[in-house]
Amino acid sequence: MRRRRLRVIAIPCLAVAVVVLGVCAVLARFGHAYTAYPFLHVAADRTPTGDAQTLAQRAARAATALQRLRPTGTYLVVDTYRNRLHVYRDGELLRTAICSTGTGIVLRDPRTGREWVFDTPLGERIIETKRRNPVWAKPDWAFIEEGMLPPKDPNERFDDVSLGKYGLYMGDGYIIHGTLFKSLLGRRVTHGCIRLGDEDLEFVYNTTPIGARVFLY
Amino acid sequence: MRATQVAALELELSLARRPDVYLVLNTTARQLEVKVRGVAVDRIPLKGVEKLLHVPLLSPSSPPPFPLPAVWRVVDGPGDSDREYVAPAELRPYKAEGYDDPPAAATPTRPAGPPPTATPIPEPPASYRAQLDCGWDLWITETLPPQGFLARTRAAVRDGWERLRGRGTHPRPAITLAMDREDAKRLHHLMRSNMPVLVLADP
Repeated sequence: MRRRRLRVIAIPCLAVAVVVLGVCAVLARFGHAYTAYPFLHVAADRTPTGDAQTLAQRAARAATALQRLRPTGTYLVVDTYRNRLHVYRDGELLRTAICSTGTGIVLRDPRTGREWVFDTPLGERIIETKRRNPVWAKPDWAFIEEGMLPPKDPNERFDDVSLGKYGLYMGDGYIIHGTLFKSLLGRRVTHGCIRLGDEDLEFVYNTTPIGARVFLY
Repeated sequence: MRATQVAALELELSLARRPDVYLVLNTTARQLEVKVRGVAVDRIPLKGVEKLLHVPLLSPSSPPPFPLPAVWRVVDGPGDSDREYVAPAELRPYKAEGYDDPPAAATPTRPAGPPPTATPIPEPPASYRAQLDCGWDLWITETLPPQGFLARTRAAVRDGWERLRGRGTHPRPAITLAMDREDAKRLHHLMRSNMPVLVLADP
């Protein structure tokens, strides 16, 4: 009696299990899954050929040319993710400063659809000019961001407060300058410029000559 | 000096001649370097470098080996697309704000810079893909999808069910770089269009 009852329960369960497994097998047959493979490679077609001496000469030429591209003297390295500016001289780290860099936000002009990307540029820049008490000629976006039309009178664009005591100009309107909002140092809050605290700015201004290279990443 | 090393040096030289940032992926040393003009400005250790294909469960095919060294470029990356847009609904006349003083009289109490409260910047993701011009994606992630037989079978069943409903996905093959969460985040903004990635072969 008990065995019969067990069979009554077991057989349908087994049947359901077989059907479910069958459906899963069919689905698995047609479905795809991520499969990892080792990163295998072969030599590229354009790999140079030649005897060992020729290869060594080519390698030496390339290594020398690479070495020549590397910076000498004073240069700056800016980490735009961690918001740190490093001052190097001949490869030796002189100072690390907390800075603020671009937000990466895009501002759109509601009238024209024109867009500005508030990114700090990446790659290499050169310190083109240095100025004490720099004056900021506010571009259109500075007004549009605050919901205002840009003024018609160009004199209304000048601001001699926001940039602090010193400015190091890297071209295309990007400046290393001071800030009124020191509590925001270390955060991505700017429109692409690099802001520094007063002491760090003074150090960078006095240490970095015009023509110095700035590596931004 | 091996021929592949010479080729790698010459490729790097061609990248370093430009003022742009480039990445150097050393699959053997499991390291990704961020470089400008030949200077390594950042180094990211990798937990793994794999090719990842979305294929049938018992697929016998394995992807062909890559010819290396090579320079691949990002053609569509999250550094371009994951951006926040802001646009004021309308623009008021400048004078209407009551700025009657000439700008020369600007004071620290009325700064022209951004407001004192920082705009909240969205946290970059720790897992994302960038399309490369070699037809593959670069998948930056903290961990790979599980590779055990049961996990893959479960994924295949789920995918089969989605395909049956006409909602199947066809992800591009990917080169996965597994790294720490924080490293993945800090690499996110570099994944922009035209960013070159120099991939090195075995030394």
